Amino acid sequence: MILNSKNAIITGCVQGIGKATLEEFANNGANIWACALEYNAEFETYCKKLAEKNNIWIKPIYFNLLNQDEIKAGLKQISNDKLPIDILVNIAGITKDAITHMVTMDQMKFIFEINFFSQIYLTQFVTKLMIRQGYGSVVNTSSISAIDGNYGQLSYSSSKAALIGATKTLSKELASKGIRVNAIAPGVISTEMNRIVPDSIIQENIKKMKIKRLGKVDEVAKTILFLASDLSNYITGQIIRIDGGIK
Amino acid sequence: MTNLEKYKNSFCEVFQIEDSKLIGLSYQAIPTWDSVGHMSLVAALEQEFDIMMETDDIIDLSSFEKGMEILSNNYEIVF
Repeated sequence: MILNSKNAIITGCVQGIGKATLEEFANNGANIWACALEYNAEFETYCKKLAEKNNIWIKPIYFNLLNQDEIKAGLKQISNDKLPIDILVNIAGITKDAITHMVTMDQMKFIFEINFFSQIYLTQFVTKLMIRQGYGSVVNTSSISAIDGNYGQLSYSSSKAALIGATKTLSKELASKGIRVNAIAPGVISTEMNRIVPDSIIQENIKKMKIKRLGKVDEVAKTILFLASDLSNYITGQIIRIDGGIK
Repeated sequence: MTNLEKYKNSFCEVFQIEDSKLIGLSYQAIPTWDSVGHMSLVAALEQEFDIMMETDDIIDLSSFEKGMEILSNNYEIVF
């Protein structure tokens, strides 16, 4: 098992890429603080069963990324466990699409708060502990729209681009302390978030791909697994596209 | 162990220096207290005193003495 006995924090665990990553990490032997927005009985049961099946522990932690006090309380719960934190995976994120002149500054700030500022706040806290340990791996979730741009995604692509800058900067600052920082940039993945995208746009995107289908969440999760694990010990500051070769 | 001893130990352990060098010690005055060492110190203090320091306090922690002042004024640590 690739992550045997490693302890990981994963945000956005209730659905999509986050849930797939939670499962992938659990199946590979990691203990997990599974972060989500709010208490969810179904999620609690799911975590319990997944933990039992893999003989690991999974602790659901709840906080709203828009509320720094809640984030802090969640982080306090984690630090109270007084266990090493080997891995941080920032997945939680949102999108609210609108063309540039229809985006209000409040909407921009809202998206940035969740997709960027809260992730940095979490990362500051966790890497502080990792520095003390002398090791750790951070994986951020960016997007190909941060690299290529995307129609109607001014706020989303900008916030995800900011995450790329942060990833590269953090990788430079933290490498000497044994901490690697990388990001993934998924393309069009079959997730809840993408269910609202009209089929005509999905088909148009598929035409641009070398691999003619949508990506699957477990394919993204496997890349995160690789970046989080010791298999990628010599990789840092990289943004890995998972996009079926989209042009 | 007293809070003062815990405080001193955090500095000595993180920066690998002796107790006698702590008075007057300030940020970047020794090679180990660089920006990354600073975060190790903060993590050590947080762990030792079971607190979570605010970013403003982390920035203000510019010397051995200033740290004591911050911990007593903002986190109710009695020295």
